[in-house]
Amino acid sequence: MVKRKLGALEKVEADLPNLQHKIRRDPKSYIEDFRAQHYQYESHREIFMASPSSATDTGVISLRDLIDFISHVADCYPDILKDFPQQLIDMLMQHHLVLETELREKLVGSLVLLKKKDIIDSATLLHTLFPILVATPSKTLRALLFQKILSELRTSNSKTTNHKLNRTMQTVLFNLVTSDRTSSKGLWAIKITRELWKRQIWTEAKAVEIMKEAALSENEKVIIGGVRFFLGGDKEREDMEDESSDDEGVSVGQVKHQLTINKKTRKKARAAEKAIKSVRNKEKKKNQPHPLNFSALHLLHDPQGFAESMFYKHLQNQKSKLNLEQKLQVLQLVSRLVGLHQLHIMPLYSYFQKYLTPRQPSVTSFLASLAQATHDLVPPDVLEPLIQKIANEFVSEASAGEVATAGLNAIREICVRQPLAMDETLLQDLVMYKKSKDKGVMMASKGLLSLYRNVGAQMLKKRDRGKEAAMSLRAGTKQERRFGEQQAGGIEGLELLARWKDEERRKRNVENGLPSDAEEDDEEADWAAWNVEDDEDSDDSGEWINVEEDVEIEMSDSEDEGKAPPSKKAKADAEVEKKDGEKETEKEEEMDFMKLATTRILTPADLAKLAELRTQASVDALLPGNKGKRAAPWTSRHTDDPLTAQEIEGLAALSAAKATREEKIAHAKEGQPDRSERKSKEARRKERKEEQGKSTTNKEKARRKNFLMTLGKARSKNKRSLVETRAVLKAHHDRAKRGGKRGNIGQ
Amino acid sequence: MGSSAKRKKEKQKDFQKPKLKVGKTKAKPENYTDTSFRSKSIVLTQQSLHLAAPSSNTQFTHNLSLLSAKSDSQRRDSLAYLTTTIASRPVNSPLPQPVSVILPSLLPLILDGTTSVRTQLLKLLKTLPRGDVEDHVAQLLPYVRAGMTHLAADIRVSAVEILSWLVEAAGEQTVSCAGGWIKTLNCFLSVLGWHTEESSRWSSNRASFGKSGSQGRPMVKVLGALADFLDAGIGKPFTGNADSDISEDDESSAWPFPLCQTAQHMISDSSAPYAYLNLFGQPRDEEGEMYETREDRYRVFSARFHPAMERGLKGAREEGGEMGRASTSVSKVLKEAIAYGPGP
Repeated sequence: MVKRKLGALEKVEADLPNLQHKIRRDPKSYIEDFRAQHYQYESHREIFMASPSSATDTGVISLRDLIDFISHVADCYPDILKDFPQQLIDMLMQHHLVLETELREKLVGSLVLLKKKDIIDSATLLHTLFPILVATPSKTLRALLFQKILSELRTSNSKTTNHKLNRTMQTVLFNLVTSDRTSSKGLWAIKITRELWKRQIWTEAKAVEIMKEAALSENEKVIIGGVRFFLGGDKEREDMEDESSDDEGVSVGQVKHQLTINKKTRKKARAAEKAIKSVRNKEKKKNQPHPLNFSALHLLHDPQGFAESMFYKHLQNQKSKLNLEQKLQVLQLVSRLVGLHQLHIMPLYSYFQKYLTPRQPSVTSFLASLAQATHDLVPPDVLEPLIQKIANEFVSEASAGEVATAGLNAIREICVRQPLAMDETLLQDLVMYKKSKDKGVMMASKGLLSLYRNVGAQMLKKRDRGKEAAMSLRAGTKQERRFGEQQAGGIEGLELLARWKDEERRKRNVENGLPSDAEEDDEEADWAAWNVEDDEDSDDSGEWINVEEDVEIEMSDSEDEGKAPPSKKAKADAEVEKKDGEKETEKEEEMDFMKLATTRILTPADLAKLAELRTQASVDALLPGNKGKRAAPWTSRHTDDPLTAQEIEGLAALSAAKATREEKIAHAKEGQPDRSERKSKEARRKERKEEQGKSTTNKEKARRKNFLMTLGKARSKNKRSLVETRAVLKAHHDRAKRGGKRGNIGQ
Repeated sequence: MGSSAKRKKEKQKDFQKPKLKVGKTKAKPENYTDTSFRSKSIVLTQQSLHLAAPSSNTQFTHNLSLLSAKSDSQRRDSLAYLTTTIASRPVNSPLPQPVSVILPSLLPLILDGTTSVRTQLLKLLKTLPRGDVEDHVAQLLPYVRAGMTHLAADIRVSAVEILSWLVEAAGEQTVSCAGGWIKTLNCFLSVLGWHTEESSRWSSNRASFGKSGSQGRPMVKVLGALADFLDAGIGKPFTGNADSDISEDDESSAWPFPLCQTAQHMISDSSAPYAYLNLFGQPRDEEGEMYETREDRYRVFSARFHPAMERGLKGAREEGGEMGRASTSVSKVLKEAIAYGPGP
C-alpha cells in the first residue's frame, strides 16, 4: 500500500489558526481543546519565565503563537482567562528589556487586541504601555508603542470626548515632565500632547499646562519641544484641519455612473454606499457649529509669570546651555507672549540692546522679536534708546542697502505698536531716506512716512505730511494719542454700514421728492429684515408681505439705477448734498456710526450687509486703482499672527543684486501655477480625461484606427454609385439630426 | 505603414545574429553578469585538520551542540550517538558531561515535530543515571506538560511516555516538585477529556482536535501513565515508610551514642533543600505550589480531582475493551488510596 503524502502542518497538527476559526464559530464544543491549549500556554509561560532572556523557539509551536491564539479567542472564555491579561502585562513590564523583538511586539499587539475586545480598559492599557515607552532603549518598540498609544487615545475619543481618560493621561504626562526636569523623557509627553493637539483631541488648558512645564524644563530638547509647540502648534492644527476637510476621496457621481455601466456586484454596491455615506457625513459636519478652539497662547494661565520665568531662566541666565538658534526661539515665544497679552518685562528691552548690531548673526530675528515685544503700554522712554541704537547701527548712507532696509522696517514695526517711542528729529532724518536709490530702503522709508502721516503727522515736516494729514491737522480732528490711552471699542466696518444706510436713505428721498436729509420712519422695513432668511415661511401674514416687497423693490431700484437715472437736477442736488455730507461725516464720523450701534438693533440683514461691505472694502483696498485709500500692510495683520524675520528683511532680498540667475528664475516662477512641461491644450485635455478614467472620443478612435482596417472601406467608397452616395449622405444627415446612432429621444 | 511595420522591425531586431569578426573577442551576451572581483588579500578559512582524531569528549560536546540543528535526521543521529556513548561507557564512570549541561539542550526536543527524534530522545533519557535525573525533575516537567497538551497527537503520546519514565525514575520528586501535582493532573484530565461532565460523556468528541484517533493504544498508554502517577502521588506509602525506617536505623547507627537525631541538623543531601521557600523564583499560586507530603496531595486530590476522575473512570469502564481494562488499573490505585485515607 502506498503511503499518503502529508503536508508539514498536517503531520504535526499544529494548526492553531484552524482551531481558532472553529472556536470562534462554536466556543462551547471546543472548550476542551481550548483548555488543552491554555495548559500548553501555561507550561510554555513557565518555561519562559524560568529564563526570559534565553527563550528559544521550542519545537513547532512558540509562545508567541499561543499568545496570539489565546488573545484572539479571549472573549469566548472569560472565566478561564481571568488572569491572562495580567500575565501578559507582567511579562511585558518585567522583561521588555530582554524579550526577543517578535515576542515583544506580539505582546503589545495582543494587549491592544484585548482592549479592542473590551477585556481590559484603556486606562490599564495606557498605564502599561506608557512606562515602557519612556523606559525602553529599543527604537522600534518605541515607535510601535507611540503609535499604539496615539491610536488608543484617538479611538477612545472618537465618539465622545473621554474626559476621564484624558485627565488621567494628562496627569501622567504632566508628572513625567515635572518629576525630573533634567531628563529628556519629557520629550514623549511633548510628542503625544502635540500630536493630540494637532488632531484637536486635546484642546483644553491642561494640555497647554503640560507644554508650559516642558518649556520651563532644564533639558534643551524638552525646552525647545515646548517652545516650538507654542510657536507652531496652532498653525499645525489649522493645516491639519484644512487637509482633512479638502480630501475628497471618491466622488459620488462617478461611483454612481460606474454602477450603471459596470457589472453589478455586492462589492461595488458597498463601495457606492460608503461613498454616499462619507459625503453625507461631510455635509453633516459642515452644518455643525464650528468648534471654538482657542490657541495655545490664549489658554495659558498666568502668561506674565510664564514669560518672566522663561526670560530669566533661559535668556538672562548665564548658565543656560541653549545655543543661539534655541535662544532665538525662546525669545520669539517670550516676545510674542509680551505682545499678545501686553505684559511688562522691563529687563527684556535692555537685554535686546546687546544684540542690535548688523554683525550679530540672524539679527533680523532679534529685530522681529523686539518689534513683537512692543505694545502700546510699553513706556516710550524704554524703547527710545533701542530705536536710537537701531538707527545709528543700521541706517546710514554708508551701510548696505539690506541693512538699512532691515533697520527701517524694524523701526517702523516698533512704531506701529508704540508710536510715541519716536523722536521728532530722528523721524525727520529717517524719512529723508525716501529719496534713496536703493529700492528696499526707499520702500521702507516710505512705509515709515505713511505710518506717521496716520498716527503723528505733526512730527513730520510740513511738506512730508501729505494732503489728508495736513488737512486733518488744520481742522484739529486728529489728535495725538497719549500714552496708555485706550480706544473705545466698536464693531469692525460699522462706519461702512452707516455710510451705506445714509446713501440708501438719500436715494429713496430723492425718489420720493423729499429733501435728502429728511428723516424717514423706516422702522418697519428694519423689522422686516429680521426675516431675511426665512421669508418663504412668513407668507401667511398679509401686512408683512407688503413691507418685504417694498424692500425688495428698493433694492432692485438701486441696482437698476444706471438704466433709469433720475432727473439731472436731482442728481446734481444729490451730489452737492453728498459733498456737504462728506464734510460733516469727516467731522462726526465716529459719533455717527457709534450712534448707529447705540440707537439701533442690528438686524440679521444688517449684519449680513455688514459682512458683505467689509469684504467689499478689503477687496477694493487691494485693487490697483485705489492707491490712495489702500490700507497699509500693518493694519491688516491679526494680533495673533507672529512677526517674522522675513518681514523685517522686507524688500532687501530684491534690492540686493546678489541673487544668482537661478534664484531670480525661481523668484519669478513663484507666482505662476505649477506646470511640469509645455503641452498643447489638446494634450492637456486628453491627460485630464485619462486621469478621470474617461474614454477617448469617437473622433480620436477613428483617427487611431489601424490603417489596414480602413483600406477596404476607402476602396469601396470610390466605387459607389451616385444613388448609393446619396443614400449614405442622407442616412448620415438623419443620424446627426437624431443625435447619433442611439439617438437622444429617450433621454 | 503604421504600427505593423514597426512591429515587424522590432521583431527582427530580436533575432539578429551577432556579427563575429576575426581577431576580435566574442561579444558578451546581453545577460552577462560580471563576476570578477578585486581583493587586497584572499583569506582561506581555517580548516580543522588535525593529526590526532578528536577525543570522545569533544565529539560528545559537538554532538550535543548539533541537537539544535535544522534537519531532523541530524538531530536524530546526534541523539543516537549520545545514547550509545552514554550506554557504552564503563560502569560507574562519570558521564562525559554532567546532566545539568546535557539536559537544557535535550528539553526542547520533547516538543520536536519528528517522531523518530522523540523516540530516540526517550531512549537517551532512559540511559541517564536515575540519581542525576532526580535533581532536574522541576526543569523537565514544564516541557513534559507542554507536550501532553500539544496540538499534535503524536507529541502528546510521546510526552506521556516520557512522563511514565519520569515517574518510574523519580516518582517522589515528580509529584512533589513545584507545580508537579495539580498542573500535571490537570494535563492528564485534559488529555483524557475528563474535565467537565459534558466533555466526559461518550458522545462528545474526546480529545477531538488531534488527527490520529483518540481510541485504542494512545488512551491506554495515558491511562497507564496516570495509574503510575497516582500511585507515586497518593498510593499507599508502606514501602517508603519502611525505607525511611531502615534509613533511620542506618543513620542512628552511623552516629556514636550521645548524638541522636544529628542527621536532621546536618546539611541536606538533596540538591535544593530550601526549594519550598522559593527564594528566587516567580511567586507561585495554588497550582504551582509544592505539595511535598502525601497528606497534602491527597487533600488537594480529593477536593479537586476526585469527582472528575471517578466520572471519567466510570465512562472508560463502560466503554469496555482495552480502554476498560486499562481503566481498572487506575481504579485499583484509586481505591487503595481512598482506603488508606488522608494518612496516618
